Amino acid sequence: MSDSRVVVLGVGLVRFGRYPDKSPEDLGREAGLAALEDAGIDFKEVQAGFHARVQNVVAAGTSTFGQLGQYGIPVTNVELACASSSRGALLSADLIRGGLYDVCMVIGVEKMGRGMLGGGGVGGGGAYQVQMGMFLMPGLYAMMAQRHMHLYGTKREHFAQVSVKSHRNGVLNPNAQYQKELTLEEILESRMIADPITLYQCCPTTDGASAVILCSEKYARQHTTKPVYLTAWAGGTPMYVSGEAELSEGPNAVLARKVYEASGLGPEDVDVVQLHDAFSPGEVLGVEELGFCKHGEGGPFVWEGNTEISGKKPVNTDGGLLSRGHPMGATGGAMITEITRQLRGEAGPRQVKDPKVALLHNAGLGGVNVMAFQV
Amino acid sequence: MTATQADDKPKGVVPLREGLFRIPKSPGEKPAVIASRCPRCGEHFFPKRVVCLACGQVGLEEAYLTGPGKIWTFTIARDTPPGSLIQAPYVIAQVQLPEKVIVGSVLSDCDVDSVRVDMPVRLVLEKVKQDEEGNDVVALKFRLMQ
Repeated sequence: MSDSRVVVLGVGLVRFGRYPDKSPEDLGREAGLAALEDAGIDFKEVQAGFHARVQNVVAAGTSTFGQLGQYGIPVTNVELACASSSRGALLSADLIRGGLYDVCMVIGVEKMGRGMLGGGGVGGGGAYQVQMGMFLMPGLYAMMAQRHMHLYGTKREHFAQVSVKSHRNGVLNPNAQYQKELTLEEILESRMIADPITLYQCCPTTDGASAVILCSEKYARQHTTKPVYLTAWAGGTPMYVSGEAELSEGPNAVLARKVYEASGLGPEDVDVVQLHDAFSPGEVLGVEELGFCKHGEGGPFVWEGNTEISGKKPVNTDGGLLSRGHPMGATGGAMITEITRQLRGEAGPRQVKDPKVALLHNAGLGGVNVMAFQV
Repeated sequence: MTATQADDKPKGVVPLREGLFRIPKSPGEKPAVIASRCPRCGEHFFPKRVVCLACGQVGLEEAYLTGPGKIWTFTIARDTPPGSLIQAPYVIAQVQLPEKVIVGSVLSDCDVDSVRVDMPVRLVLEKVKQDEEGNDVVALKFRLMQ
């Protein structure tokens, strides 16, 4: 990689929620137009597109990008389950840093409908897992949480506190699916889904879209005076560890170290964080793996308020997956959107004080992406 | 649902899925997980695979692992997911066998709230349904050893 930086020029979202009357293409177009407006450029300027969607993906990118114009550019579908659109941004950044393009655009879209998603069983095969009751997405995070409780004495209240904080932040975000505070008691006493994870510690299913426009530093100079830089990034898939269950979606700590080394930053430099909290244990484990506290101390770290907007490592200032919502293909782009708004100082009532460095962690059954942003 | 030991009924017992576990054919044989063993480095894997994840060896041997094991981690499913033959509440566990391989399955009927990491478990085959021909369809589960 050369040393040139990549710039996040524009971001846009369709508020996460339910859109029974809109098609995925409608949602993608609206997010795309919002990002183009934010960037202050015309779609004609975009040289390559990445389209992130998990369900019904056949040639979906062509139809969604086609909503914005048809200039013959290459559009590629990217599918990594919940980590799709951050991978689209990562690939865009590779191409821009490599000098192939000046402007790339990522559109992430999902229409999910209601009800629980399957996924996340371990061992055996698809149909067998379903029949054996092991195809249960919260189950994966629940088993990581139980192991953590056993090894470190983490308490169920620690996990539930993640959801208290995320919902409080969601109230401050007009684009969040849920804008309602929940108390610790309400969360702990909601229906138990997969012990220790209760219903209000599960992200909802969501319809929504996000769009991100990335460009070269040279191109950015002509279009903005306040660039947000994407300075380092790394993506990966699970690494085999003998004797351990394969529960993690990727080597989170390894990827974070790569990003810190490439950017010359350390965890102590990070002012604002977006991490993958599909279920509440995600934040407790994530703050450890990204290096913000020691292994085993994630529970108390969250419980003591360190990840609050006013804390020393604000995490998921927009409500995270738990409260902002999680339209799978759109989530990575929503994370980049929040980080961009925070680093520009445009986050309104949920603004972290004067942030300079942000870290993103987006995980899915298809892999993990970690990215560092700076102003 | 009644727990049925497969070796009580040597005829008319079929696996829920071929290739994952062994149904005993003789009184002396135990239920076993069908795993792969690397002839080069000795690592074991479940389910079976072709390439060793530890050393890269291509071509692994079949190995029958009979346990007992211990619970590496678990969760209690309080809702029955769509398509499941197992009714909530039940425990999903990742069990570590002496060969270090991790096998995921559900626990046989137990007090779900008593389950803890590191508890010893043994392999059992239990009927999960009956097929159209009247055979007992069995699957591998783990039972707490107490």
